[in-house]
Amino acid sequence: MNTIFISLILGWRALTQNTLTSLVAIFTISLSGGLFLGAWQTKQSVNRSFAQSAGGFDAVLGARGSQLQLVLNALFHLENSPGNLEWEQYETIRSHPGVSEAYPFALGDNYLGYRIVGTSPELFTHHQWKPGRKYQIEPPGRIFSESAKEALVGAQVASEIGLSLGDRFHPYHGLEYNPDTKHEDVYLVVGILEPTGTPVDQVIWIPLKGVQMMEGHDPSAATAISGVLLNLKGSSGLALDVKYNKQGDRATLAWPVPAILSSFFNRFAWLERSIAGLAVLMGLVGCLIILATLRSTMHERRHEFAVLRCMGASRAIVTGSILWQSVLISLSGAIGSLLIFLLLSQTFASLVRSQVGVSVGFPGFNTVALLTCGGILFLGLISAWFPAHQLYRSNLQESLNPYG
Amino acid sequence: MSLLIVQDLKKSFRSPSGNLDPVLYVPEFSLQQYEQVALRGASGSGKTTFLHLLAGVLPADSGTVSVDGTSLHLLTESQRDQLRVGKIGYVFQSFNLLNGFTCLENITLAMNLNGSSDVDRAKSLLSDVGLWERKNHYPHQLSIGQQQRVAIARALVNQPKLVLADEPTGNLDPFNTDRSLILLRKLCQQWGSSLILVSHDDRVMEQFESQVEWEKLNEVATKGELLDGDN
Repeated sequence: MNTIFISLILGWRALTQNTLTSLVAIFTISLSGGLFLGAWQTKQSVNRSFAQSAGGFDAVLGARGSQLQLVLNALFHLENSPGNLEWEQYETIRSHPGVSEAYPFALGDNYLGYRIVGTSPELFTHHQWKPGRKYQIEPPGRIFSESAKEALVGAQVASEIGLSLGDRFHPYHGLEYNPDTKHEDVYLVVGILEPTGTPVDQVIWIPLKGVQMMEGHDPSAATAISGVLLNLKGSSGLALDVKYNKQGDRATLAWPVPAILSSFFNRFAWLERSIAGLAVLMGLVGCLIILATLRSTMHERRHEFAVLRCMGASRAIVTGSILWQSVLISLSGAIGSLLIFLLLSQTFASLVRSQVGVSVGFPGFNTVALLTCGGILFLGLISAWFPAHQLYRSNLQESLNPYG
Repeated sequence: MSLLIVQDLKKSFRSPSGNLDPVLYVPEFSLQQYEQVALRGASGSGKTTFLHLLAGVLPADSGTVSVDGTSLHLLTESQRDQLRVGKIGYVFQSFNLLNGFTCLENITLAMNLNGSSDVDRAKSLLSDVGLWERKNHYPHQLSIGQQQRVAIARALVNQPKLVLADEPTGNLDPFNTDRSLILLRKLCQQWGSSLILVSHDDRVMEQFESQVEWEKLNEVATKGELLDGDN
């Protein structure tokens, strides 16, 4: 116990005596560990968070085109709509025995850059966006009436542009805000949705007819919709997939949503691998810095160790101090890794939340973090092993003047 | 009773050219309890090596060193470490205080090595050497004389049976030489420690009743060769 305690004190003092090099080593290791954890956990967390933010829908029916575009457009309110569907197509799929829920939606307008989506009020009265959770409206608000120029505003929109109950606004044409494209119609805010942490918070919802009949829109598209949000029964997705995607040529069924999202994120696997590779390289540099730090201080410390040996310190104490010095650097690096990961993940999550509306939840101290910290400590010990071993084997007479 | 007994002690080192250079052969030497001896010899004549052999820091090629009844050559390295920390105090010419530690910490570290943590004793010793006010100063914040006084306190804090002082005044001015020497001898007396002090300074040697000429003690220095020429 005494040996461990004294070698720990010596290791700590050696670290504080070489503050700058120790800090450089700690920072490099922290950055590398943080990046590694970030690269490892971001994809999984983003994938999971996006899947959870799909609003509780299994599939989306839309115009013929890309399934991914359909999902991003309908559920995440990104990208442009691939085109329109006829109202009959909505009625056909709604009456399909394999479909449990079907909500038509139409888009094409915005308010100050926030998308305006037309849909049916049932989306807010019947649909569970999360198991057991329906959309809630802040009292005393209510859902828009199907035949009135009323709007239900997502929580993020309300807080960011200050829309509140009783406010009126003019929609703008298109999905991007352009002051020159203001519609004549005026909408009344009748409700504010409670936050969900999903892209729904970034949308202004109005009746389907509102979009279809908006002043300035093409009258021939008055019955068209952008797509249908679907929940399916059992394995009916397979049959619908065959019907729409393989045999049909008028519409596309984006199903299953999680698989489509996964394929999307898999496109970025190279980036994830590159960051992880870079992090590993930086980790090696961190180890080399530890090794160089220990080696560079070895010359002056060799004399100090000889003095300690003369005072009665054992070989275990002096070599233990080298190992402790490295362990303390590595441990600080491991803690720094977690802090940098926390910082990176919070920044990233905040960015995604503001841009896409998806709340990305990163795991805290899980197995991967534990293994990363353990790996850093292990590499630190490996780095210290060579100088410590060299010191252990060195003869005291090499450090003391033999001919004195 | 002899505290220290040396018999037929030999040591040689391999030179850069690969030859075995004899450095030391001491046929016989002893030191009584409480005795204080000054060892005079020229620089580079093997005095420091002799002290290292007495402390068990270096292993002898042959011969025996017995400290307080314990033969060093029968001990393992770890046992020699334990004996050294408990029974031997070492004062260096260049003081060799640990730079990252304050005065008080330099002294308590020596105690910790002996498994003790009696901080009051360390404080008392620091007061005895007149440096209580500088207990939290680091070595580089002290004068040369002050550093040596801390080194003396560190060597004596474990109440060693034997104190080995290797040119302890070699770097000091006359004033500090006298002050350190008086302090070292007084504390050794006070704590019941025997003292071997190595010096080549006549001014220092004069203060000791018991003086030994290294050239007479070390037969290698006398004859210029290693007797029995082995290793």
